Amino acid sequence: MARVLNAALGVLIALVLGALIMLAQGYDPPASYTALFQFSLGSPYALATTFKNAVPLVLTGLSAAIAFASGPVNLGQPGQLLIGALAATIAGLYLDLPPLAMIPTLALLAIAAGALWSGLAALLRQAFGMSEFIVTLMLNIVADYFTLWAITYPFKDAAAYSPMTPPIATSGWLPELGDWNSAVFWMLAATALMWFLLARTRPGYEWRIGGQNSLFARLGGCPVDRNFILVMLLTGALAGLAGGLLIMGGPHRFLRGLGANYAWDGVMIAIVANNSLPGVLAYGLFFAAIQTGALGMELITAVPSEIVMVLQGALVLVIVASREALHQLADRLAARRQAQRRAKQAPLLESVEQP
Amino acid sequence: MNILTGLLNGAISGATPILLAALGGAFTFYAGVFNIAMEGMMLMAAFCAVWGSFAFGSWLAGVLLAILGALALALIFIIFAVWLDTDEFVTGIALNLFTLGATTYLLRQSFGVKGVFAGPGIDPIPRLHLPLLADVPLLGAVLSGQNLMVYAAALATLISAFLVFRTSFGLRLRAAGYNAASLDSSGVSSARMRVYALLLCGVLCGLAGAFLSLGYVTLFSENMSAGRGWISLAAIILVNGNPWGVAIISLLFGFADVLGLLLQSYQVPSQFTAMTPYLATLAALYFYARRHRKERGYVNR
Repeated sequence: MARVLNAALGVLIALVLGALIMLAQGYDPPASYTALFQFSLGSPYALATTFKNAVPLVLTGLSAAIAFASGPVNLGQPGQLLIGALAATIAGLYLDLPPLAMIPTLALLAIAAGALWSGLAALLRQAFGMSEFIVTLMLNIVADYFTLWAITYPFKDAAAYSPMTPPIATSGWLPELGDWNSAVFWMLAATALMWFLLARTRPGYEWRIGGQNSLFARLGGCPVDRNFILVMLLTGALAGLAGGLLIMGGPHRFLRGLGANYAWDGVMIAIVANNSLPGVLAYGLFFAAIQTGALGMELITAVPSEIVMVLQGALVLVIVASREALHQLADRLAARRQAQRRAKQAPLLESVEQP
Repeated sequence: MNILTGLLNGAISGATPILLAALGGAFTFYAGVFNIAMEGMMLMAAFCAVWGSFAFGSWLAGVLLAILGALALALIFIIFAVWLDTDEFVTGIALNLFTLGATTYLLRQSFGVKGVFAGPGIDPIPRLHLPLLADVPLLGAVLSGQNLMVYAAALATLISAFLVFRTSFGLRLRAAGYNAASLDSSGVSSARMRVYALLLCGVLCGLAGAFLSLGYVTLFSENMSAGRGWISLAAIILVNGNPWGVAIISLLFGFADVLGLLLQSYQVPSQFTAMTPYLATLAALYFYARRHRKERGYVNR
């Protein structure tokens, strides 16, 4: 309950901050917000678009949340997403199987490539003791340049002017059901599966305990090193899948700057959701809604769509602060209660001690 | 000879932003703050520098605004991490994300452009020609004629080393990180030392950002700090915050930068040469980890 309250409070404060910024620059906040949500939730088509745009956000959010909850500081979702997307693209360019075989093959390749990229960081950590925190960050930038090279030289669409690959075989395109892209079902299935894995199975329990207290987990007999590698591989796989689905569900080709829009969103969502997986789904959808509606808002009230990035950043700061403030308030109230109880007992104690 | 001075000059200007940010981070490192907001502070400063320089037509105004912009972020960090006692890691990440969003929005809002803002109206930080040093044989071309901010960085290294190791302020700063409880019990507030460290970090990151957008190049582009804040964090970790060590490591990263440019003339695609500073960071971490492997003992973290 406190968590929902905190979330509602955070969203409200962030929206008010956004409204103040808009007011200061002479825009009309109510009309802007109406347009924002009209274009993201207001019609069945808009809702379906929001869900589709939520796919990479939720999957990278799951990746970050599982990593942070289990200990490894995997900040490499952007790079793992790009490598996964590249793997799915290359396979989609050279393979042409029937759709029933093609789609799982591409998804599995994306998963494997993402896991490979995070596995590299896990290997460097386990073999040499290099902190995965900075290694994953550096690998992000390396992946960024590497994919840019791949789509500029070896896999470039000869007919295109800017760096991009040709479209993948149509058998690898994710089917659309009406307005709904089937990537959405992958996202929901992955969320449910990950929740089950973390909340209801033994490995998930071991990971979470390891994240809370590594020494306790080790003394309790958990294979801490193996769990570290498993979590890194799993979280890389999730980010890689995000990249694969992005290609198969969206533009069907690797365009320049593909990952830039999602670079830090996964980490951001995991932080505001406090590593809870249902929370990741909820915030992922919310972030997708404001990102999707931003262009509509720009169309109607001319507020630059980039304001959404400010809103997101403000939301993270506000939620982190209000969570901590609520904690402190709760602590202080508990301390006061205890002090009052002691104060009641104190006269008794003194009367006992005096004789 | 010309190639050598060119290499050195390139390395120095590549090293300067990393050095300035890392010196700022060194103060917070000594004070025991896990500060990863250098990236955001630099980015905000880079934007404010261009804005100030363009609006007032003077690089000095740009530098002042850059420092103010970075200080504003440091202040938010202080309110959250020192006063409200939020998690430093989460606060730093949130600040970096907020800055990325805010600068992108402000870029669009103030100049009406997406991606990059450049123009003749931006007044760059001047180069400084030192009359006597310029005549030194061999080294004259390196010692003189550098950007003003390069000399500021060298001076900042000296001052930082003096402050940290030779003053009572530095002693208290290090005590705040080493054992905050015993500093508190001796009558000096460790929270106050952390605040000072963060403010100093803001000033230095402000200078770093100003150099990025008014010295290294004369433009602002989205996310132009491009991981330099993280590299400076790696530099701090590698030498445990020692300002002299930070200076040497920053120069090494500067050389990696130049090496990338040099490779480009051997037909290596620019996408690979651009990776060199980041690969150099990985290599540096490898050597650091190998050296410290035994000392870390059995606990994995």
